[in-house]
Amino acid sequence: MTKLRVCVLLAIIFAVFPTSAQNGENVTGKVLDEKTGEPLAGASISIANERAGTITDADGGFSLKVTKFPATVLVDYLGYEHREIKLSRFTEPLVVLLPENLNLLNEVVVTALGVTREKKSLGYATQNIKGENINGNTSSNIVNALAGKAAGVRITNAQGDIGASRIVIRGETSIAGNNQPLFIVDGVPVDNSQLLPASGRDQSRDFRNAVADLNAEDIESLNVLKGPNAAALYGSRAAHGVILITTKKGSAQKGLGINVNAGWTFATVATLPEFQNEFGQGMGGEFSYVDGKGSGIDDGSDESWGPRLDGRLIPQFHSDGVAVPWVAHPNNVRDFFETGVTQDYGISIANAGDKYNFRLGTNFQDQTSTLPNTEIRKTNFTFNGDFQMSERIKAGANVNYIVTDAPNIPSGGSPTGSNYRASSIMLQFLWFGRQVDTKELWNGYKVNRNWNASYYDNPYWECYFNTTEQNRNRVIGDVHFSVNLLQGLDFRFRSGTDYYNDRRKYKIKTGSSGAGSPDGSYAEDAYTVSEDNTEALFNFKRDLSGDLSLDALAGYNVRNNSYANNWQKATKLAAPDLYTLSNSKDPLESDNVFKRLRVYSGFASAQIGFKSWVFLNLTGRNDWSSTLPSDNRSYFYPSATASAVLTDALPIKSHALSFLKIRGGWSEVGSDADPYQLITVYNIQQAFSGNPIQTSASTKNNPNIRPERTQSAELGLEAGFLNNRLSLDLALYNTNSIDQILNVQTSAASGYTYQLINAGKINNKGVEIQLNTTPVKTGDFKWDVGLNYAANRSKVVALDDEGMLTRYVIGSAGLQVVAAVGERYGALYGTAYRRNDNGEILTGDNGFPLINSTNQILGYFTPDWTGALTNTFTYKGFSLSVLIDASFGASLYSSSARTGMATGVYANTVFGRTAEFGGLTWTDGDGNVRDDGVIFQGVNVNTGQPNEAKMSAQDYYSYSNHPYERYVYDASFVKLRDISLSYTFGAKALQKFGLGGLTIAAVAHNLAILHRDKDLNMDPEVALNTGNVQGVEALTRPTTRSFGLNVRLKF
Amino acid sequence: MKKYLISLLATAILLASCSESLDDINRNPNATEYPNPAYLLTGVEKNGADLYWGNSANYGGLLLFVQHWAAIQYTDIDRYRISNTDGIVTTPWNTGYTTLVTNLNAILSLDGAIANANYKGVALTLRSWVFLLLADLYGDIPYSEAGKSVVPVFDTQQSVYAGLQADLNEALALLNLDAGTVAGDVVYNGDIAKWRKFATSLKFRIALRTADREPEKAGEIIASLAPADLIGSNDETFRFVYTSSPYNNPQHDHFVSRNDYRISKTIVDKLKALNDPRLPVYADLPKDESVTDYAGGANGLPNDAAANQGFDRISRPGAYFISPAAPAVIYSYAEVLFNLAEAVERGYIGGNAENYYRQAVKASFDQFGITGDEAIDAYLAQPSVQYDATNWKKSIGEQKWIAFFGQGADAYAEWRRLDFPQLTAGPAGALNGEIPVRIFYPGTEQSLNGKNRETAVKRQGEDNLTTKLWFDVY
Repeated sequence: MTKLRVCVLLAIIFAVFPTSAQNGENVTGKVLDEKTGEPLAGASISIANERAGTITDADGGFSLKVTKFPATVLVDYLGYEHREIKLSRFTEPLVVLLPENLNLLNEVVVTALGVTREKKSLGYATQNIKGENINGNTSSNIVNALAGKAAGVRITNAQGDIGASRIVIRGETSIAGNNQPLFIVDGVPVDNSQLLPASGRDQSRDFRNAVADLNAEDIESLNVLKGPNAAALYGSRAAHGVILITTKKGSAQKGLGINVNAGWTFATVATLPEFQNEFGQGMGGEFSYVDGKGSGIDDGSDESWGPRLDGRLIPQFHSDGVAVPWVAHPNNVRDFFETGVTQDYGISIANAGDKYNFRLGTNFQDQTSTLPNTEIRKTNFTFNGDFQMSERIKAGANVNYIVTDAPNIPSGGSPTGSNYRASSIMLQFLWFGRQVDTKELWNGYKVNRNWNASYYDNPYWECYFNTTEQNRNRVIGDVHFSVNLLQGLDFRFRSGTDYYNDRRKYKIKTGSSGAGSPDGSYAEDAYTVSEDNTEALFNFKRDLSGDLSLDALAGYNVRNNSYANNWQKATKLAAPDLYTLSNSKDPLESDNVFKRLRVYSGFASAQIGFKSWVFLNLTGRNDWSSTLPSDNRSYFYPSATASAVLTDALPIKSHALSFLKIRGGWSEVGSDADPYQLITVYNIQQAFSGNPIQTSASTKNNPNIRPERTQSAELGLEAGFLNNRLSLDLALYNTNSIDQILNVQTSAASGYTYQLINAGKINNKGVEIQLNTTPVKTGDFKWDVGLNYAANRSKVVALDDEGMLTRYVIGSAGLQVVAAVGERYGALYGTAYRRNDNGEILTGDNGFPLINSTNQILGYFTPDWTGALTNTFTYKGFSLSVLIDASFGASLYSSSARTGMATGVYANTVFGRTAEFGGLTWTDGDGNVRDDGVIFQGVNVNTGQPNEAKMSAQDYYSYSNHPYERYVYDASFVKLRDISLSYTFGAKALQKFGLGGLTIAAVAHNLAILHRDKDLNMDPEVALNTGNVQGVEALTRPTTRSFGLNVRLKF
Repeated sequence: MKKYLISLLATAILLASCSESLDDINRNPNATEYPNPAYLLTGVEKNGADLYWGNSANYGGLLLFVQHWAAIQYTDIDRYRISNTDGIVTTPWNTGYTTLVTNLNAILSLDGAIANANYKGVALTLRSWVFLLLADLYGDIPYSEAGKSVVPVFDTQQSVYAGLQADLNEALALLNLDAGTVAGDVVYNGDIAKWRKFATSLKFRIALRTADREPEKAGEIIASLAPADLIGSNDETFRFVYTSSPYNNPQHDHFVSRNDYRISKTIVDKLKALNDPRLPVYADLPKDESVTDYAGGANGLPNDAAANQGFDRISRPGAYFISPAAPAVIYSYAEVLFNLAEAVERGYIGGNAENYYRQAVKASFDQFGITGDEAIDAYLAQPSVQYDATNWKKSIGEQKWIAFFGQGADAYAEWRRLDFPQLTAGPAGALNGEIPVRIFYPGTEQSLNGKNRETAVKRQGEDNLTTKLWFDVY
């Protein structure tokens, strides 16, 4: 064996027992942590070249029948080194002391299709995240728990605390399609849609992405397969990587075990724009309230260009016509937000015997957001169990039942930047009267008394009456069995489903002025989403001869996806406050969408190992998809990867270089289209006076589409230094996605605003570095440092074969987000200032800046690089972990800034308003002498001299006089993401109370933004939703900072 | 065990070979592959009316340019601070080509057994109206390759107008009383005679557009039109009548939820000066009861000055226009009569121009429910209204402008062509005192059809609001 193994303290004590040659012998023993001596439950014990295997119980004990001696006992435990014990015969119980594998170089990881492999045998990058890093995280969305934990994994929390988050691995490899990884829980693919309502409906509600349904407490470990090389066997959907989730099992337990956890988290608004407090609502310095609709002086104005907030007496919205002091309420926006509270309680029971193991659990979570009257409740029920039916047959089942019940989902920005006046809270704080007293809003909300009544409802009215309910019932589960056919040959079968109903109810109260219909309205939006997979496979594992080993599998999978949406809306309520579909003055608006698809797949893979230091992995898969035309329906894609452990192969191993592995490979995955993209169709809308209306779809479909293909080459290196006190994992990759199916925006003059083409090509190259080290390790004290860094460069190579298309519009919010040929993915594309050769902005004779009539690329939402630094200090039972993460080089277009400046609510709009604030004296077009002149810094296009013409301050801040360029900011940030402090009580102390374990942890999340663009008036890390339109912010809710406490108890 | 395995493998192979059922799975259950000409026609008429009468293209822009309406809040467009992504720029283009032209082309390409010749004639007539609307606004536009290429070339405005005359000739050849019935026509209810009149009247409208550029050609076309073939009464007006609910007039829907437009001071003052009885139809009294007279809002003010006029001290457009079922007039009888007057003045046809002018004003009164010869005669007797043959552009231009109240696109085209009434840009206008004489190409064309757009811009002049279009000579 290797030196590494020799230097480990391993005690094997033999004892002689009488043996029965016919039935074999029971080999018994214990597996213990080498350092602490604590038992390791759930370690896997097997005999080389035999099918028999077992798992250790709570005391680390095991018992295994061995038929033939000499035998090699294999001991594996996640996070510990692999052990092989040669027994010429069994004499006395084994005591296996496993050393913790500091660098996880020899760890066993779960790979595609749930196959466990030694990490050293893999030819691609994969990263394992232990459940303990996710359990007890303060976030209610497990996607957030991954932030900063793995190189090249980018998480964007959309808005605030309660809603959706986006995850992308190794950059965007699809120009138009989904770019988020596939989530697989115990072999069952689970949906992660956000299910945003169709365009034209209220898209401002921040629905959680569906994977947030999972309960973090159920997760044992989480494996990130970064891209096609690792995930080729999953086929179509592997191009964006796979997150493999393994849930906790009863097998980790011997006898009865009960776990109880409780957590409380408190979230407050972290970052709000800086508002001015010098001028109140109105126009041209005038204001007087009568009805908020224009009956008073400028009380129909929803901007803050009104009188100076100097205490003068003015009738206001709450004063019933009485003139009251006109004063600032600097915290009026902040005062509106509340402390969001998350409560989380869970209990699980696990048990395992010789022939069975199971785990049963339930968890209840209730979260309120920082917006008043918003709440999401989630209840998880989970069961999993496995039963040894006979010596050869094992069967089991997993069931997760999840109920999400939200009385009101908070509203935020919408993907198109459209305003939803009945619910968008930030809309009215960006068009605001800065004098407004939030207390008075509260006092008047039941009668919808508001500072402006033309366009807005009282914000409390919006939160309490114009609500959106969500109710989701979801089942994720499978049944599976395996049969041991011959020595080394297993047959496995699994049939699983992810099925949910998601019903939403949109209520707008009668009397809402902002809603577009003072009658109020009621809509129901119901979704049914399902995915079924049935899979059968053969697995053959064998040491062939001497130094060669083979691990091969071949299988077949049938996948069915279906989606149904039913939308109905009573656009005008007949009787107020009665929310039924029949309570409608007008005919109901209604719409149905049904979609389904089926994919048959055959696949095979083989791993050939030589002397357990060189490995070759081959995979191949063929898919037949219903969404492609019959001629192009079948498509095959292969992968080949290899790894070599040089420190085992060559005589270079030393104390300084304790481990060195190189790996590399090439893979291809194919991908099908969405359903119904072959034939162009006509839609039928509600009839006009009995005459049905039919219109052509705006997309021209394509009967000849071919599958998309993503080809990826990857090279990597894993190294351990100084006896593995320092380890390095380096990955380089180059991914080409070709034949991309694009719904390209085309000139309307072509007859369609979109056409489906099949030629897009995008390249992603990148580097990932993961560095782990333990600088200090003395007695009870340990300091671990984890550093990761990833840089990805994308390049849009082509959009169509003819080269006619130069830009693909990913989305638009005034400013466009595009994929432009030759450029990085995700360019922000819009109007810019006209500049001279020195880069100075040109102005006209009137002093206004000139705007370039050709749009320019103003930035990219994709960062240059991301990184994270984790410092963990452990001392006896204490553990303190601090995570700092960073992202550099991305840009953000802030529509909020565009509005907040034009409406005069932002703090940076005070300058120049009057002489007091630096305003210059000037004469306007009507001959009035004013003191609100401001000079725009630029160069007169005609004279070449610095601009001297003045404009009014309001014009200076108005967006109509400026291009989008003005509102594009550097979105780089460094954040103090997480601090957690936990204490685990010692076993001895607990035994007195009959406890098996007690951990108390305090966690703080999003503590501080250490670096950001100072001009950007908000958190640079915001998004509208989880789609591909990123780098655009509009009316997004403020992000939050949270503090939590967790208690975990084990009996 | 072996049996089980064999059956499993057999199932797997069977499943893989079931490509038939995969086709079934991919059959779209949400929409039809088959167009129905009647349904398409209703859709085009409704969506066309929404475009012509609705927010982005009409009262959110063109009605402000021609000073029928004024913005009392959010005055950017009223100050001509317009970007190439604003609705006024993108909506006519996108709706015109995709929602209207594409669906009309679908009717035109249907088999004769499904869509008879009259459907085709109706479709070709409507398509000509749409292309005219687009050419009037943008100038050179994709026409000959529209709907046929992913990157269609831009045709000159001149060739578009010529092409439309040819299209309308073809439409008239198709439209025939015995060529079959047309269903789904919510404007003329399938009355082919009326469709022929609308098509002929469109030829008239287009010919006059070109009259300053190609006087002879225009004269030839107009001389060929028999007056009896034109829209001959207010009953024959081409207009789309909304229903009360849910398909309301878009202007009604706007005022339900918004408060940002008023009638323009320019037209209110003009109507007052002319003692025009249409004033109470066009405007409501201000909400503030202390204001006892109609008052218009000034165009082109900064936001503060606009708001400071007082939201309730300025008149909204009249109930006639903002009621739920108000009609969207697209081609009125009055327009035909004004056109005839102009044709006489240009020497294209014989007749008495003043007579046509007086009839036109009368038809307009009638259109807005003002009856009684006394009122009309008294109005026409005023020197300020009397027809002035020496300055016929002024007489016809001003009265057309009044008669076209609410028809932003055509009021705008006629104002640019006749140069009357003389409008002044508001004090805070962004174009150095000028009023826009066209609109931008949508910003998206730069990325989606860049080369062809560039060619057009080179030919036509810079892509800005003050570049005069081909038809706009004076």
